[in-house]
Amino acid sequence: MEGDGSDPEPPDAGEDSKSENGENAPIYCICRKPDINCFMIGCDNCNEWFHGDCIRITEKMAKAIREWYCRECREKDPKLEIRYRHKKSRERDSNERDGSEPRDEGGGRKRPAPDPDLQRRAGSGTGVGAMLARGSASPHKSSPQPLVATPSQHHQQQQQIKRSARMCGECEACRRTEDCGHCDFCRDMKKFGGPNKIRQKCRLRQCQLRARLSPVTPSESLPRPRRPLPTQQQPQPSQKLGRIREDEGAVASSAVKEPPEAMATPEPLSDEDLPLDPDLYQDFCAGAFDDHGLPWMSDTEESPFLDPALRKRAVKVKHVKRREKKSEKKKEERYKRHRQKQKHKDKWKHPERADSKDPASLPQCLGPGCVRPAQPGSKYCSDDCGMKLAANRIYEILPQRIQQWQQSPCIAEEHGKKLLERIRREQQSARTRLQEMERRFHELEAIILRAKQQAVREDEESNEGDSDDTDLQIFCVSCGHPINPRVALRHMERCYAKYESQTSFGSMYPTRIEGATRLFCDVYNPQSKTYCKRLQVLCPEHSRDPKVPADEVCGCPLVRDVFELTGDFCRLPKRQCNRHYCWEKLRRAEVDLERVRVWYKLDELFEQERNVRTAMTNRAGLLALMLHQTIQHDPLTTDLRSSADR
Amino acid sequence: MSEKPNYALKFTLVGHTDAVSSVKFSPNGEWLASSSADKVIIIWGAYDGKYEKTLYGHNLEISDVAWSSDSSRLVSASDDKTLKIWDVRSGKCLKTLKGHSNYVFCCNFNPPSNLIISGSFDESVKIWEVKTGKCLKTLSAHSDPVSAVHFNCSGSLIVSGSYDGVCRIWDAASGQCLKTLVDDDNLPISFVKFSPNGRYLLIATLDNTLKLWDYSRGRCLKTYTGHKNEKYCIFANFSVTGGKWIVSGSEDNLVYIWNLQTKEIVQKLQGHTDVVISAACHPTENIIASAALGNDKTIKLWKSNY
Repeated sequence: MEGDGSDPEPPDAGEDSKSENGENAPIYCICRKPDINCFMIGCDNCNEWFHGDCIRITEKMAKAIREWYCRECREKDPKLEIRYRHKKSRERDSNERDGSEPRDEGGGRKRPAPDPDLQRRAGSGTGVGAMLARGSASPHKSSPQPLVATPSQHHQQQQQIKRSARMCGECEACRRTEDCGHCDFCRDMKKFGGPNKIRQKCRLRQCQLRARLSPVTPSESLPRPRRPLPTQQQPQPSQKLGRIREDEGAVASSAVKEPPEAMATPEPLSDEDLPLDPDLYQDFCAGAFDDHGLPWMSDTEESPFLDPALRKRAVKVKHVKRREKKSEKKKEERYKRHRQKQKHKDKWKHPERADSKDPASLPQCLGPGCVRPAQPGSKYCSDDCGMKLAANRIYEILPQRIQQWQQSPCIAEEHGKKLLERIRREQQSARTRLQEMERRFHELEAIILRAKQQAVREDEESNEGDSDDTDLQIFCVSCGHPINPRVALRHMERCYAKYESQTSFGSMYPTRIEGATRLFCDVYNPQSKTYCKRLQVLCPEHSRDPKVPADEVCGCPLVRDVFELTGDFCRLPKRQCNRHYCWEKLRRAEVDLERVRVWYKLDELFEQERNVRTAMTNRAGLLALMLHQTIQHDPLTTDLRSSADR
Repeated sequence: MSEKPNYALKFTLVGHTDAVSSVKFSPNGEWLASSSADKVIIIWGAYDGKYEKTLYGHNLEISDVAWSSDSSRLVSASDDKTLKIWDVRSGKCLKTLKGHSNYVFCCNFNPPSNLIISGSFDESVKIWEVKTGKCLKTLSAHSDPVSAVHFNCSGSLIVSGSYDGVCRIWDAASGQCLKTLVDDDNLPISFVKFSPNGRYLLIATLDNTLKLWDYSRGRCLKTYTGHKNEKYCIFANFSVTGGKWIVSGSEDNLVYIWNLQTKEIVQKLQGHTDVVISAACHPTENIIASAALGNDKTIKLWKSNY
């Protein structure tokens, strides 16, 4: 420790009493002066402080020194040698000191902890220095390679093992320079032909002190040793680690998914077979998950009226959300398991305790015929045992449950079947209606086309205008201005389009209906991220009325008494006709709306059918049968309804 | 009209993994809903006793469940301080009603099923709107946990009973307390409900007594005893499909049936191995469903010819 004179109370040094200056100030060094304002170095044996100038050691030289003994002590006891530090740490320390880093790795001088007064003189490292002294003292002491006395020599002989947050630099694992090539981590490395998913250091190179995972002995790390093990790894203490689980070290998610805590019941049904709440079925029957707390809340708000024609899409999104929630939950579970493993790992860092605990306190695995101890935190010793037990359970219980179920007809099932029938029929009728609509659609198009081919006859024009009352004022419903009734229709259409085009009406999903030619506008609005859901023929926002050429004829089929078609067409030029303004658009819209309605209905029916089918599946599915039972006491009574079968 | 019913055990429904807290038949008679301390509600077929589906979602034990009048919705009251409204057909939770500050103990729909009423350990009664899930009114009803709430057949009156021994009748529209019924000893009231015609109240107290009150006159008309009820809030019911009976569970593992008029015990149904906490009567058939606590965990269906 170097003193810079900033400390208020100089401690009593060893040879203080020798010379009384009359000042009562403690004196140091060979010069026996109380001067403490210069660089000083302390002997690690007699604890006397010496001025650097007096013994000709500069501060810089002192940085390289780890343990220093004064000349007297060295002469008295030849075993005391000045020890130097590694080149790299010296450099780093100088950097750190420059940056006023409080974490000074013992700037050369490490005092054994118990002298707090002396510590205070230690310049930049006051109390911190002491701590660090303590902390870094041990690895040095335990370092098997003795350091050379002179600073110059030890450069060549010392390996430059870097220290980091995960490497102490001193232990056997840190000293290894080569990957073993056999452990699971090595085999994952690209250089050994692995997919580089796990991305961890070689198992044998995991620092014993600082690594997150416990390093393993060769025998435990190699599930399938292919080569005889190199001998130099033997001296690794194996009892340090207790029992390492395969998945212990795998930080990546893949390994964590198969914990030894096998579930009480297997999942022969994949998630796809349980469309409703697969998680919760797991939770409900797995029992082992109780400690993970709460079954997932299936709390969904009553869904607002989603565009039914796209409900398929909407439903799909719900599924996605569910899966996301599920994966979140799984991540949560994983994280919790990971944390539990961390706790376990901490236990295993105390080797003796772990060892004595394992065989004695763990209960026996519940697997059939298995006498091995169960994994901690589980009821089974391995996945296999858990699976076997679950399979046995199913073989044992399921047949009689199936028989029980079939003993009496299930009323709900029959209802379900009838319902399906009805839905089928309705779907049929809806489809015929759809075809009808398509037919009308084509008809309309034909009419429109034919009408266009008519020639213009100007002379009919005059009939229209004069007979109308022009003193009757009509107010436009959209803008409120008074308008001439003759152009009222035209004006109101235009006015409405103007206002409507300013608002958006859309949903998040594009239309995906097969067999429908044009229904919805579906123009994407990037701001609101929606697709416009107005009828395409009508959308004022995204379609403009095409320019009408001067010679195009109105062509609207004329009617007598509102409903009877006369077979004749309006011959006025379209630009001038005020009675049949935009008739094609409106007729098309009518047909389209009908079609949309039929699609809605089909979608509804589809949804109902799906519901009925899932209910039928879940009612007598594997889980339902295993978890529930209806015991019939009276063999004659299968149906409690008093009237005969309805 | 026979003097005694002959209820016989027909089905035992196994499936809950913890004590069953309440069973209710759906108003259309198709389903039986059972709520349990294992945090789930199970729907069974009422006529064949077969499992139909399970409703998950609550975090803690469920104390009560009730059907809406169209048998399409359920409301459940749970120790997690919330109530949940479920759509039975899809099995989904439609709304979660939050607001109580302690366990929610009892719940019911009103006959039009646009309101839900709930009583809780926080000594209040709350009225909720089904459509929005919002609490419309909070009645600071009692000074002890509220053990039962019920609407009358027209939905205009609410009755609430509590451990403080007081039974109150409220106006559903305004939330005003119309009447307070206190018996002499202030015994905790464990259950209360209106009779089907809305004129009488059936009040169970924790002194092994069931009483039929004419609340407009404030008089106790009939008393039914013989069963054991000192600890649990055991449901009681009017059975009107065959003979006129009063049906109740009991802490001696039996289901008791009394003749409503003569007050004598006409039948005791044996079969459970733990306290029979809930007994429900089918709306159209002579079927009784009974449920028992943790030692038993089953629901039994009984049928009678009259």
